[in-house]
Amino acid sequence: MKLPSPTSLLSSAHIAMVDKGVSAIVSTSDAQLRPSIMRAMGSSITPDGCSVTVYLSRQQSRQLLLDVAATGRIAVVFSEPLSHQTVQVKASQASIRPAQPSDEPLLQRYRASMEYELARVGFDARFVRAMFAWQLDDLVAISFEPEVAFDQTPGPRAGSALTTGGVAP
Amino acid sequence: MSTRTLGSIRPCLEGAIPAVMATVNAADGVPNVAYISQVYYVDERHVALSFQFFNKTRKNILGNPYASLLVLHPVTAEFFRLHLRYLRTETAGPLFEGMKAQLAGIASHTGMASVFRLLGSDVYEVLEIDEVAGAALPQPPTRCGLLTALRHCSERLSRCTALDELLNTTLSSLTDAMGIHHAMVLMLDPVTQRLYTVASTGYATSGVGAEIDMGDGVIGMAARERTPVRIMHMTSAYLYSRAVRSSLRADAPGLALDTEIPYPGLSEPHSQLAVPVLSAGSLLGVLFVESPLDLQFSFEDEDVLVAVAGHLGAAIHLMQSAAEATDAELSAPPAPVLSGATIQVRHFRANNSIFINGVYLIKGVAGAIFWKLVSDYVQQGRTEFSNRELRLDPALGLPDVTDNLDARLLLLQRRLLEHGAQIQTQKTGRGRFRLIVQRPLELVEVA
Repeated sequence: MKLPSPTSLLSSAHIAMVDKGVSAIVSTSDAQLRPSIMRAMGSSITPDGCSVTVYLSRQQSRQLLLDVAATGRIAVVFSEPLSHQTVQVKASQASIRPAQPSDEPLLQRYRASMEYELARVGFDARFVRAMFAWQLDDLVAISFEPEVAFDQTPGPRAGSALTTGGVAP
Repeated sequence: MSTRTLGSIRPCLEGAIPAVMATVNAADGVPNVAYISQVYYVDERHVALSFQFFNKTRKNILGNPYASLLVLHPVTAEFFRLHLRYLRTETAGPLFEGMKAQLAGIASHTGMASVFRLLGSDVYEVLEIDEVAGAALPQPPTRCGLLTALRHCSERLSRCTALDELLNTTLSSLTDAMGIHHAMVLMLDPVTQRLYTVASTGYATSGVGAEIDMGDGVIGMAARERTPVRIMHMTSAYLYSRAVRSSLRADAPGLALDTEIPYPGLSEPHSQLAVPVLSAGSLLGVLFVESPLDLQFSFEDEDVLVAVAGHLGAAIHLMQSAAEATDAELSAPPAPVLSGATIQVRHFRANNSIFINGVYLIKGVAGAIFWKLVSDYVQQGRTEFSNRELRLDPALGLPDVTDNLDARLLLLQRRLLEHGAQIQTQKTGRGRFRLIVQRPLELVEVA
């Protein structure tokens, strides 16, 4: 595997975890400091870890998308269900575009990964397909460059900020 | 605005799938998202979230109380977004202890037992519930028959006329109507503030007489906090490895005699539910059920058990306060015909423990009662007794009229039966009973 570029906040292990497709939860805030939250239908990360994209359903995330458009701010937590390995990334300049047919293979790969990941904690494929039952024309892609990242694996180090290249495993 | 009520999405709050929550930093408007291991139903307008770590979520809600919580239905895969406002944190009491027990189950199930510790119960007001659009799977079939099961239990309890029958009927109704095969009823001893087992079903030994301290394990916590305590996954945190201690050692360290009746419960329970039995605001005891399987008791089972425990409490209370027989009604004792070897009854005054031919029988108030009965029998030839005279006897030290004397007598009767001794007690009417002795007795009093 390629080593992360020295500018990435995420370790190669974190990048690999996000790249394979794990739970991704997105949150935003409006001008009145009211939060919004939704689970992503898919995610991707560049090999250097410097750019992250999450896919959301418009009809599931109206307020959240308004917030991103208005503030550019976003926080996303990635977590591997079985191991509870968790990392959160935040950015202040996220951009939104409609999902395109070229995104479809990636979205399908993500759903297949989630079927595997959630089967390991006891959920069957039918359940997981219902969770991730998207229509391409309802999806948007939100891309951003992580500006801060936090290790949020439950335990004593939870919440510690990651610096360039990630913390030691 | 969604029409969904919190009650209608309760399956999402059973801890099967962790929830996620977004909060916002009041100072810079930066959002934060974090996993929440436990979302607990408080009432139709409130949920409580487990506060386990001093983290960003904690800092955010203390500065800006608004939060957005995403939960997932464990069967239909529907998402619901709860808009919340933080109100307060509780660190003791029924809500905290109920959550602590449930979290212990969740933690051990998810392999997080060493990490999860409940620092507090964060209580939030539910401002609104969003039904998130999606491809929901069909609703699970409504669990029919729960109300019918409750009716079945209620009808059978209503026909009972004595405590013994009432307790047996409670346990057999749970087996017949709810498919619950391991259950017990414990009563509170108001003097020692401990719970003693008076009836059980489904165990290798009945465990009648086994004691549990207030606050100890699922049963003790349900009693102390007067709240249902429910665990859906096996947890070592609430096993009774240390629960049953010999109180004799504490009461009279000089006596090297074993007065411990082993706790009868399952050695590896995976689901447990303890419900306090209350009446007129007082704790009478605990109704406890368990299973060797995970996920056996849902919030609906809890609802049924609480209703059954309410009926049980009221019935016990009524029987307790019903008029007791007067001494005048007592009939003359039948002449006892005795044969066979003498039975030695030893009484240790230090803790009122009784040993029959060297084998432990009972202690405490029930032991003192037994000693009075056999003493009156040996000295005066009496075999007929009334609850009333026991209550009026200052030597027995019964606390007051609220003491459940019937439960103590039932405990004594069942211990004598299990002991197989040639001494038995038998109920002869409301508030009356008979001592049946088949061998000559030798009484030995030990200081």
